[in-house]
Parts: sequence; C-alpha cells; structure tokens
Amino acid sequence: MEQNLQYFLIPFLNWDMMLLIWVGVFAGIWVGAIPGLSVTMAASLLISFTFSWDLNNALALICGVFVGGVYGGSITAILLNIPGAPAAIATGIEGYPLAQLGEAGKAIGLCTTVSVFASFVGILVLAVAAPVVANFSLKFSPRDFFLLAVMGVLLIGSIGGGDPIKGITAGAIGVLLSMVGMDPSTGELRYTFGNIYLMAGISFVTAMIGLFGVSEALTQFRNAGKGSPKQNLDKIIPSWATFIKYLPLSIRSSLLGVFIGALPGTGGDVAALLAYDQAKRSVRHPSRPFGTGAYEGIVAPETANKGAIGGAFIPMLTLGIPGDAVTAIIIGALYIHGLKPGPMLMIETPHLFWMIVSCLSIASIALMVLGLVSVKPFSKIIEIPKSIIMPVVIILSVIGTYAIQNSVVDIFYMIGFGIIGYFMRLYGYATGPMVLGLILGPMLDANYRRAMQGAENQLLPFLEGFFTSPISLVLTLSIVFLLFSQTKTYRRWRGIS
Amino acid sequence: MKKVALALTLLLLVTGSALAAYPEKNLQGYIMWGAGGAMDNVTRAIVPIAQEHLGKTIILQNRTGATGAIATTFVANQPADGYSILFGAENPNLYKVTGLSQIDYDQFDPVFLMMANVGVVLVGKDSPYTTYKELIEAAASGKTITMGSTGPGGLPFVATTMIEKIHDLKFNKMQFDGEGPCITALMGGHIDAVAVGLLAAANFIKSDSVRGLAVISKERIDSIPAVPAITEAYEEYVPYLPWGAFFGAFVRKGTPAEALEALQSAFQKGYEDPRFDEFAKSTGGVKLGLTGEKAREYIQQNKSVSAWLLHDAGGAKHSPEEFGIPRP
Repeated sequence: MEQNLQYFLIPFLNWDMMLLIWVGVFAGIWVGAIPGLSVTMAASLLISFTFSWDLNNALALICGVFVGGVYGGSITAILLNIPGAPAAIATGIEGYPLAQLGEAGKAIGLCTTVSVFASFVGILVLAVAAPVVANFSLKFSPRDFFLLAVMGVLLIGSIGGGDPIKGITAGAIGVLLSMVGMDPSTGELRYTFGNIYLMAGISFVTAMIGLFGVSEALTQFRNAGKGSPKQNLDKIIPSWATFIKYLPLSIRSSLLGVFIGALPGTGGDVAALLAYDQAKRSVRHPSRPFGTGAYEGIVAPETANKGAIGGAFIPMLTLGIPGDAVTAIIIGALYIHGLKPGPMLMIETPHLFWMIVSCLSIASIALMVLGLVSVKPFSKIIEIPKSIIMPVVIILSVIGTYAIQNSVVDIFYMIGFGIIGYFMRLYGYATGPMVLGLILGPMLDANYRRAMQGAENQLLPFLEGFFTSPISLVLTLSIVFLLFSQTKTYRRWRGIS
Repeated sequence: MKKVALALTLLLLVTGSALAAYPEKNLQGYIMWGAGGAMDNVTRAIVPIAQEHLGKTIILQNRTGATGAIATTFVANQPADGYSILFGAENPNLYKVTGLSQIDYDQFDPVFLMMANVGVVLVGKDSPYTTYKELIEAAASGKTITMGSTGPGGLPFVATTMIEKIHDLKFNKMQFDGEGPCITALMGGHIDAVAVGLLAAANFIKSDSVRGLAVISKERIDSIPAVPAITEAYEEYVPYLPWGAFFGAFVRKGTPAEALEALQSAFQKGYEDPRFDEFAKSTGGVKLGLTGEKAREYIQQNKSVSAWLLHDAGGAKHSPEEFGIPRP
C-alpha cells in the first residue's frame, strides 16, 4: 500500500510530468474542439514525437491530451452545434439551444464541473475495482454487443428531433452507408463499384465532420443576417445546490460511462448516447423540456464520456486489452518503450498502474482550472460574426478530414456529406441519427453474424442464447422495458405526460 | 572568358546537385495498418533509429484500408525516387488471388524485412485441451470446435485453413476484426481456440491468461520455449513452413540503386541497434533481418503457401496459377 502511494505520488513530485500533463490538457481541449482533429490522432502523433523521451513523461502528456480532448469536443458542440467528436453529439442537442438563449457560459461551467466529477469517478473505479470490472467485461459475448447496438438504435427516437419517421429514415441511410466497403467476415466487396477508395468504407468521422461541421456552417450562412445572442457570463461556476441537484444523475451516468468504456471496443461515444437517452427517459422534471436546453441533457452525456476515460484504462492495464481507440494506441506506445502490456503489466511494473491513475487525477484537476478559466473567452466565440467564424469552421473541417488518413478523397466525402446534411436540415431531418447509424451499423452487422456463427448458424440455439446467458437476458429485458416504457399504459401509470 | 567561367560554374552546380548524396530531403513513410497494431509498432520502433543513420526524417503516416491495398496502390503511384517508403505486412501477397488489387510486392523492391510473426494455436486457460493433438483429435471425432478467425487473408484465417486442410477437418468459425479481439473472445470463453500471430499472443501466454498449444513453426520459439513446435505433433506441416506474417519496408521498383542501398544500410543499422533488440524481445516477434534477394525469396515462399492454401480452401477468386505462383 505504502509502495503504491509512492508510485501514485511520482507525477506530483516531478515538475516535468506535472507541466506536461497541464500542457497536454490545454492542447487536448483545442485538439478536441476542432472537428476532425481527434484524441486518437493526437495520441498516435505523440507516440512518434515522444519516442526518445522517458516513458513517464510521454504517458503524462498522452493522459493529459486524452482528458482534455474528450472535454474539448463538447465545447464546440455547445457553442456552435458542431461536436468535436462523436462522444459530444448528445451534448450539442441540449447545449446549443442553451447557447442561443445566452446561457453558454452557464452550460460550459456546468459541463466542466460534472466532467471533472465524472472523471474522478472513473479514476476511482479504475483504482479500486479494475480487475473485477475487467473480468466482467470479458464475459460480454458478441450477442451482448449486438444487444447493446440494438439499444443504440432505439436512441434514434431521442436524438432524431421531432419527427420519428424522419429520424428513422436518416438512421437507416446511415446504417446502409456503413455497409460500404469490405465485408468484415468474408472480405466480399459491398457497394464499392470497383472503386478502391470505396473498399476502405466510409469513415463515420469523415461523415460526422461533414454532417455536423460543414452543414451547420452552410445553414448559418442562410441565417447570416441574424445577430448573435448576448451571453450572460455572471454565474459560470454552478452553485453547490445545483451540483447536488444533478449529483444522482451524475453518479448514475458516470458509472454507466465507466462500464461502457471498460467494454473492449466501445468507448465514450456509445456511453454518452446511452446516458443521454437514459436521462431523457428517467428525469421527470428537467430544467427545460429535452431538446430545448435541458441541463440534465448536458450532465448525462458529459459525465458518461468522462467516466469512460477511466473505464477504457481498466481492461488495458489489467488485461492488456484496449478499452477504446486511444488506449489501443497507448498499448502500442508501451511496446515501443520496451514494456509488456498484458496481464503481467501490473505485476511486473506496478508503478505504471498507479502512475497512470495519478496522471489522470492531475489531468482532471487541470481540466477544472483550465476549463473554468477559458469559459469566458470560449463564450465570446459565439459573439464573433457568423461570416467570420463559419468560413473558419469549413477550413478546419477540411484540414481535420485530411488529417485523419491524409486522404484527399476523404475531403470530397466530407463536403458531400456537408451538402447532404444541409438539405437534410432544410427539410427537417436531424443529422445525428445518420451519424449514429454509421457508428452502430458495423457493430450490429459484425456482432449479429458472430453471434450466429457461435450458434453454428442455427436459429433456435441463437434465440435460446438471449434467455440462457444472464448478461444477454438482462440486456434483452432492458430493451423490452425501453420499448414498453414508450407505451401509453406505462406512461399513464408513471404519471408522465 | 567570363561566359566560359559562368558555364563551368553552372555545370558544376548541376552535376553537384545530381551527385548530392541521397537523401537530400525528408522522406515519407506510409504504414498500411492502423495505429497501435503490430505493423505500426514495428515501424515506429525501427524508423526513429534508422533515420539517425539516414540523416533525414522519415515522416510516418498510417494509410489504412482494404487490408493495406490503399497504401500499396498509393506508394506504387508515387515517383520511384526512394522518397516514398511503404511499410507493409504479408497481406499484398494475396491481393491477386482474392482479386482485391493487381498491385502487390511484384511492383516493389524490398528494402528490409524487419520481423516475422509466427502463428500460435491458443485455447482458453481452463480449456479441456492441454496438447495440440488433443484439440485436433477432438475436432476429428466430430466435436464442434469454434475457432476465432479474421477476414480471408489474415494470419488467423490462413492458419486455420492450413490446419483444416492438413487434418481434413472443419471447424466452426467466428470472425473478428483482428487478432486482439480474437484473444479477448478466447479469454471470455466465447470461442474454443484460435490461431493468431505470436506478437499479439506472447504476453497472454506468458501470463497464463491463455494456453499456447503449438507454434506453427519447425522449431520452438526462444521467447516462449514451453510451447511446442507444431511439427513435434504432426510432421505433415513441414512442407508449408516457414510460414507466417512479416513486417517490412519497401520502395517502388526502379528506385535508383544508390537510394535503395542507402535505405538498406540505414535499416540494417537500425535493426542491429540494441534498442530494436529490446523491442523485439518484449513483443515476442522473431527477428528476420532479410534484405535484397533473400527478402524476395522469403516473400515468394510466403506468397506461394498462402495463395495455394486460400485457393484450395475455396477462398480465392483466381487460381494462383494465373499469376505464375508456384505450388509450395
């Protein structure tokens, strides 16, 4: 124990690491805020960049960027309705209307506070329960991932705007587009028309930048004449009472985030969307109706995607299995630095575990300070005339898209999606469901087929699995409940209008 | 007189620049697999050392997609001046027979093959099968064994095909996105066995999280001496070996000999550096260190085994014969 405490204190007593974490968080906030520049990309660049460094310093910087980056994606979602990453899509749904009401400062302040809280929840679970959570997450079979994806599909009702038919249409097109490319299990080419660039499939990040970034910019050009809402920046830091009011929701959503983050291959994006949906269904008296600026709709996804950070480290540090894309890259970094990520990591190099816990803690503190300090300058972004800010958004979207895999073709895709998104908005279709479809499509496709293969392609054993495996049973029942909770009978019983 | 002097100076300048030692500017490196994977790790481990000897920076980027065909096609379309390096694995060896692309290593000169990745057959740590023979006999007796696999052409796919062909078996297969997810599924008990590359599996074997039954090689591997070679159980594997994945650096055919030599020497020095040794040791990969004709032979042997196995298993769209690939 004393030993662990010593390891934990390493970054606190080392000025280089301390400084690098703060620099990382600061840089991460900006990287995350720019659509297309993702934490994943920043982390992989940093690995080459820090090759000759001491491993501790490299990890300090990467942890900082990770925490800052996840947060940065939400800022642009609130201010400009352009999420910097898929994990911030839900935040934008409530955050942007708030910015329009002049409450951007309050929204970002709340977002920062609950983010830091959730980040600590994630770190705490990582520190005390990592092996237990990791072993449980291994038990998730392909069938369970399929059920999670089905749950995700039900979210379309939550983020699809007013008209469910339009939401479903956009979502279905998204799923269809996600099928383009090589069939993941047979290698057969689908909808590629002999074009090598279609073989790689359509990256949802590219689509997201177009559908959110460029299409928002185009829409804003239409409304260019309108003035910007005056921002009220008096009370940025939420009062203690406000924090307590959202505490139960924060705890619930951050734990959900930790757990989804700990599942191999799923990260903050799925966690944030599930948490938003969960809040929408369970909060009876939101500050404003959902979709028009409910603070609960910011708290839930923000706590979930920050909780997912600690969660993603759980399988990585205990089993050597990445929890998400960023931790996959950190595993690579450990190899390059001559360490052996895997189940032996905690035994052979126990200092690493506690040092990462500690780096993440410092990063969360840094986030609190840097986040709150920058609320005012950030909120001013809204007051910049649209004719200046929107061209900048378009330029950044182009740069960000190119940076994903240095492909010019992706830029064309991105612009194409931007134009499609513009017309979708014009005719009242939300663009969120389409991105959701692109994210969930491959998850549905691959896991359904794996589950079928596990049942030797027999329908009966496949269906049986939903009731015989305890995890599948719980998930199946949750889905049934989600559907039932939409019926009039249930709503009347619970007294929800 | 002045004119002559001027002409001479110009001539000197021109020849001077032509004689300037390669490389005179930074190089571009294209990695065909994504960040964090084995290909990426090997590249990012050797490049920083090799470029110390090259005197210029190799700017690395991941160009993923279509099992590497995107990066391969891209580099094949760059000028053959030695400034664009492809960091590629064994995958292009199957592009022609799967019909994915007509551009493979035939259009490239190998600069250096850094490492090989040998296949290893794994079962869960609580599995009833303790030896490779037991696993094969169980499958032969008609018991359903669910094997993890990846898409056609990946190491797990070809290795599983090899096992099926040699023992005349059929496994039930569950397909994953890569070797990592296969191992995760094995640890969670969702599949019975899987054949993956040792690079991905070594640390899981050493920590007893999974059990290694056999390495698909003629000899045991130094980093995991407890796991028997597959030929200890069945001699029938000998004609197919050595076989596995490999990680190398390539430039377009027609690159000036001077540039190719400079690159080869830089990578050779990087390869011999103790820092790269340490990396190889920690990952469990087999150091290869082949260049020139030897590298070409190694690639051809791999190509003929994989292409014919895939063809015999019915997974190839075109017969290897069409492209003059000899049977192993």
